[in-house]
Amino acid sequence: MALKGLRVIEIAGLAPVPFCGMLFADFGATVIRVDKTRNLLTTDKLGRGKQSIAVNMKHPEGRLIVQKLASKADVLLDPFRPGVLEKLKLGPADLMTDNPRLIYGRISGFGQTGPISLDAGHDINYLSLSGVLSRFGKKDEPPFPVNLIADFAGGGLACAFGILMALFERQTSGKGQVVDSSMTEGAAYVGSFFFKTRELPFFNNPTGENLLDGGSHFYNTYKTKDGKYMAVGAIERQFYEKFIQGMGLEGTEVHENQFSDWVQHKETVGNRFLTKTQKEWTEIFEGTDACVTPILELDEAPYHHQNANRQSFSQNPYTEYWEPEPAPKLSRTPGKANLSRPDPEIGENTVEILSAIGYNGAAIKDLIEKEIVEATALRKILI
Amino acid sequence: MALKGLRVIEIAGLAPVPFCGMLFADFGATVIRVDKAKTRNLLTTDKLGRGKQSIAVNMKHPEGRLIVQKLASKADVLLDPFRPGVLEKLKLGPADLMTDNPRLIYGRISGFGQTGPISLDAGHDINYLSLSGVLSRFGKKDEPPFPVNLIADFAGGGLACAFGILMALFERQTSGKGQVVDSSMTEGAAYVGSFFFKTRELPFFNNPTGENLLDGGSHFYNTYKTKDGKYMAVGAIERQFYEKFIQGMGLEGTEVHENQFSDWVQHKETVGNRFLTKTQKEWTEIFEGTDACVTPILELDEAPYHHQNANRQSFSQNPYTEYWEPEPAPKLSRTPGKANLSRPDPEIGENTVEILSAIGYNGAAIKDLIEKEIVEATALRKILI
Repeated sequence: MALKGLRVIEIAGLAPVPFCGMLFADFGATVIRVDKTRNLLTTDKLGRGKQSIAVNMKHPEGRLIVQKLASKADVLLDPFRPGVLEKLKLGPADLMTDNPRLIYGRISGFGQTGPISLDAGHDINYLSLSGVLSRFGKKDEPPFPVNLIADFAGGGLACAFGILMALFERQTSGKGQVVDSSMTEGAAYVGSFFFKTRELPFFNNPTGENLLDGGSHFYNTYKTKDGKYMAVGAIERQFYEKFIQGMGLEGTEVHENQFSDWVQHKETVGNRFLTKTQKEWTEIFEGTDACVTPILELDEAPYHHQNANRQSFSQNPYTEYWEPEPAPKLSRTPGKANLSRPDPEIGENTVEILSAIGYNGAAIKDLIEKEIVEATALRKILI
Repeated sequence: MALKGLRVIEIAGLAPVPFCGMLFADFGATVIRVDKAKTRNLLTTDKLGRGKQSIAVNMKHPEGRLIVQKLASKADVLLDPFRPGVLEKLKLGPADLMTDNPRLIYGRISGFGQTGPISLDAGHDINYLSLSGVLSRFGKKDEPPFPVNLIADFAGGGLACAFGILMALFERQTSGKGQVVDSSMTEGAAYVGSFFFKTRELPFFNNPTGENLLDGGSHFYNTYKTKDGKYMAVGAIERQFYEKFIQGMGLEGTEVHENQFSDWVQHKETVGNRFLTKTQKEWTEIFEGTDACVTPILELDEAPYHHQNANRQSFSQNPYTEYWEPEPAPKLSRTPGKANLSRPDPEIGENTVEILSAIGYNGAAIKDLIEKEIVEATALRKILI
């Protein structure tokens, strides 16, 4: 696998860092999640392929364990607000003195510096300050609270991208560095296109009246007869012609005036879509280059013949839900969603991880008794 | 810079591949964009061209194809924006180029992937997103989903492909070999949205669309209009943040305060009406620094001036367009990326001459290629305009 041999220490936290850890695990890295003790069940839904050690980081012996893990690692992932790990003597200055090759990845909402870097927030807040959330609204309505762009795209994935670039650079310099991954900045960066197309026609109308934000009838979503939805993305003339044909609107105003009268056209097209089911429309349009597709639900997507053919999703044998396989597909060393064992519970691998970094049986037993670490077997007794 | 020394050949195409090329350019790679000569458009459509160079080549001519083969033979990465099979027809497919250069990472961004029954169908971001399962999550109750544009093309496309290419480069250190990176935007969008797929059994995530915690169902993870017609974003999920939100709204002791997880429809109305009583600026001042998770929804040209973004220089002003654009993310401490705004984005064929020189063509040969319209150079284009 592409990242075989890479060692990642993920400090357990909320979704963006677990997602980043999962990306590394999916492509073959060894990912050790350092959980806090005294929490019964993990909140990490993105734990596939990881291992877990549960450590009390407030105890000096617990911190020593994390330092040892970091000294042998390539990457560390920090999910906390700026300064939290510094207080535990596990900050970049502490860990990178011992291990100058360490790539120290820090995902935060607003970044490691700046006047509001310590403020709490969630995806919606980071996205709101990026400028990008303002693009996702109907005319005169508050934007839709899209969740995904700041935390997973601009956070987890962008941080993984940054870490991989630091690893590339480390080949020549021999040194690590800090990757300061602000979700606000990541969201803006992924949305660079919005910022860089301001002068184009169709992009500088008020929100909800543009080509790509629900203003037009040919880049939009519509309800069908059976209460499902279709997506239309027929921008270019040759695709628009196919769209018109499939809708049975040849020779109408909609056909002749693609770039005007959008409000009326949306109504015409909307009414037409209500006359058939999603399945019927899908059959009419597939393979025609009309850029018209069904909007699939989470549990429908895996069965679409394109996704099924490419095995884009796999069924989790433990939850029975389908989940996406890693993307993109590398031809020679592909990633793989590790569903061969259940996601690790808190402390599931504590014993073997401590062994691997030099603790013997008696020392481990002592750490468990003092509650400096926890191991799942003990947790099972407590539940 | 982090990617200094990396050589990327970007075949010009629509947004996801130019965005991928820009990511590499922003972090110091050499990115050569191969434009079509004799395009009907005189000017480049690449709005994401900062830091790149351009050579304009007629790839339908065997000598033009030879130029691209030579460029690829010295490159680390090639970016293919076309439908599956197009570059193969031009003898510029993976089999053609990787025989000569087995270390080449051949990145291919397509809507539906290189294989499968609809791999050759046309589409746009909205279509790829519709098949991923993710678009279904972005709708109000009983309404068609909002046509979010960004997730499939830029996140699941350009950024995911760059991520895949960097992993292939990591692997190449040990194996010495390249590989093909098959970047399907549908799959990339689904993968970035893995969390949706993997939290099905949690309460609050399995109501009908628009009635969930994170998709507009709740009053404490939502957006609201203010007195001056602007908007605020509320993300106050956890109890300690919710308390601060309630305080800032002046709703202590009310039903909204006591019942965070029920009566969402009524609470949205109450909260919505309350937000209408003050301006966005007033609300921002009330909530900043309180841990209430309440923030203003900034427009594209407001975001650069917010004090957090200004302090961190998250955006730079493009001296040619005068618009602000995001600086590269994330910030690497030692070898940061930088939006190259020190020169205008390259026009089609702007660097044809020097690129051909660098791969071994002399002055006479270059002149000959230009005369035969096998390549184009911007100087000529300026005459035509």
